[in-house]
Amino acid sequence: MPVSFIVQMAVSGALMGLVYALVAYGFQLTYATSKSLNFGQGELVMVSAFATLSIMGTGLPYPLVVLLGLLFGALLGLAVERTGVRLALEQKSEGWILLTIIIGLFLFSFAENVWGRDDRPFPTPISSQPLNILGIDVTPVELSVAVGVLAVMLLVEAFKRTTLLGKAFEAVSADRDASELMGISATRTVMLSYALSGAVAALAGILVSPITTVGPTMASALVLKAFSVAVVAGLESGFGVVVVGLFLGALESLASFYVGSGWRDAPGLVLLILALAVRPTGVFGKAVIRKV
Amino acid sequence: MKRLLALLALTLALPALAADTIKLALTGPYSGGSAPMGVSTLDGSKLAIAEINAAGGIDVGGKKMKIEVIERDDEAKNDRGALIAQELASMPDLSGVIGSVNTGVVMAGDKYLQEKGITKIICPAAGSSSMTQWANKPDGTKGPAQLSIFRFAANDGIQAAMVVEEAINRKLFKVAIIHDDTNYGVSGRDDLLNQIKKQGGKLQVVTQEKFKIGDKDMTAQLLKAKALGAQAILIWGIGPELAAVANGMAKIGLKVPLIGGWTLSMSNFIDNAGKNANGTLMPQTFIELPISPRAKAFIDAYHKAYGVTRIPSPVSAAQGYDAVLIFAAAVKQAKSTNTVKIREALEDLQAPVKGVIATWRKPYSKWNPADVDTHEAFRRQQVVMGMVMDGRVIFGSEADRLRLAKEQQ
Repeated sequence: MPVSFIVQMAVSGALMGLVYALVAYGFQLTYATSKSLNFGQGELVMVSAFATLSIMGTGLPYPLVVLLGLLFGALLGLAVERTGVRLALEQKSEGWILLTIIIGLFLFSFAENVWGRDDRPFPTPISSQPLNILGIDVTPVELSVAVGVLAVMLLVEAFKRTTLLGKAFEAVSADRDASELMGISATRTVMLSYALSGAVAALAGILVSPITTVGPTMASALVLKAFSVAVVAGLESGFGVVVVGLFLGALESLASFYVGSGWRDAPGLVLLILALAVRPTGVFGKAVIRKV
Repeated sequence: MKRLLALLALTLALPALAADTIKLALTGPYSGGSAPMGVSTLDGSKLAIAEINAAGGIDVGGKKMKIEVIERDDEAKNDRGALIAQELASMPDLSGVIGSVNTGVVMAGDKYLQEKGITKIICPAAGSSSMTQWANKPDGTKGPAQLSIFRFAANDGIQAAMVVEEAINRKLFKVAIIHDDTNYGVSGRDDLLNQIKKQGGKLQVVTQEKFKIGDKDMTAQLLKAKALGAQAILIWGIGPELAAVANGMAKIGLKVPLIGGWTLSMSNFIDNAGKNANGTLMPQTFIELPISPRAKAFIDAYHKAYGVTRIPSPVSAAQGYDAVLIFAAAVKQAKSTNTVKIREALEDLQAPVKGVIATWRKPYSKWNPADVDTHEAFRRQQVVMGMVMDGRVIFGSEADRLRLAKEQQ
């Protein structure tokens, strides 16, 4: 087996892995501030992709379409926070688990009824004509996924570290009560994290749709993998999800080649079990001592 | 007051009117991933029904009767299919059922129709087990002596035989088999392997690969085929994943023919694969090209009635159309709307039926549980190789086009 084949597979898999990483990053953003997750994150990806497709139908220029798509995602994130999460958090209940699942189911039916159940192509100005780089075939669309994922994660991380609002974000993640005493509105910060998470979900949808097509079920497989990535990497580390995402994607591709194409999903699950058994805080997570 | 009386008279007349119709149920997946097939069948059937009704209806023993449609969407869900079949089976004056795409739906529902003896024509698809479930089993259990289920579809056996034949004719002796891991994909793979054996074992299968519904990255499977020197990919799956395979082949530069089941003509394959779909070969019962006046009239009528320039699934539309014509011929011959009499007429249809796919001469014969072909209409000669070209399906070989055009003169 020529080495170039192995590299080709690893690269193709890793590029899909970056999409897992981006969706996983959406989980992390909200977990950091509120210790809650949106279990309907996959539906956010899907509905945003559909909405972007509809906006594209109006004939606006592509960059504007993407921007509006991201805005739509952010608004959707805010809506999830307001309807599914805020009250549950105020009452310190775990109600957000069920509520976010319900919102996800609702969005799924909504999409089925509004946009139909068929998979549709998602046009993009980026070419899908393969390029040959050092003997490996990649398409510009796939490269755009890699660039988009890394760029947005760098941007958000830079925002968290350098701006005042970002510092508030970090403060609420570190200690909600203490930061409230310091005059930071925790509710606002949680809202911001949900808006960011929604925008990230929309970006994932926009980036991956030209490759996978848009359909109501497009994110159901994706979100499960993303969840594995988030848990294996630890729900604290943005850098971790990229590494684990790349690794898992490549591993899936290679397993499907060497073990057999029926075993494609096995590595992700094995990795998840191993991580939970050996390092429940995640490979890149910090073990925190909880004072009771 | 006069108007009220007229209204009253009309309402009283309605039940009497209803009794003068032939009740025909159309079922199938009109929403969901199989919808292009279901909806095209429905539309094709309705076109035939509209034409029959416009001409005054069917002559049933000297009385002209119109067809009344009962429409049910099974959503490609097995449990919905079972419920619908039970509902239909409980209708006392139902003359027949035409429809179904999904094997699972057929397996879940048809037993209720058979129990009540309601005549059903499976159209446009469903896997081989939809008929073999009624046949004698190898373990000695006998099938029913009477069967009210007929099939109007190119069965997977014929299709697999044609796919293997095509690879041999094109001298592509090293092939990779790729299929999805559903019942449909796995039985397709078995049919292909059987046919390879049957046709002299000329093809060497370098690898067998599978994928799941929803998979988008097929690089690993395709690279394996490429590394092992496959000269053709034989494939069994449905629309979206087939598109992922075609796109993946373009990406890694695997320029070999993709040959597979008729699902390669689904619009969600052709649209999602774009130009990467060009050259793909698949068995077809109907090609959307005006090769004869009959085909042209049908295509034009469909486009006009539904406001489209391309039939989502031409095969399904044409089969839906022809199935209604055959059913109507059986009603006429039976001189009755009784579903059992219609079954008997279908098993021994005298007059040839001029459809858009072919002129059907005795499509069915008396049911024999040892030979499911007695209730199968399609034979090898009614199926041709189609090829995708620039978003449409055209004839894969000029010889087929000429042969069909001549037959339909």
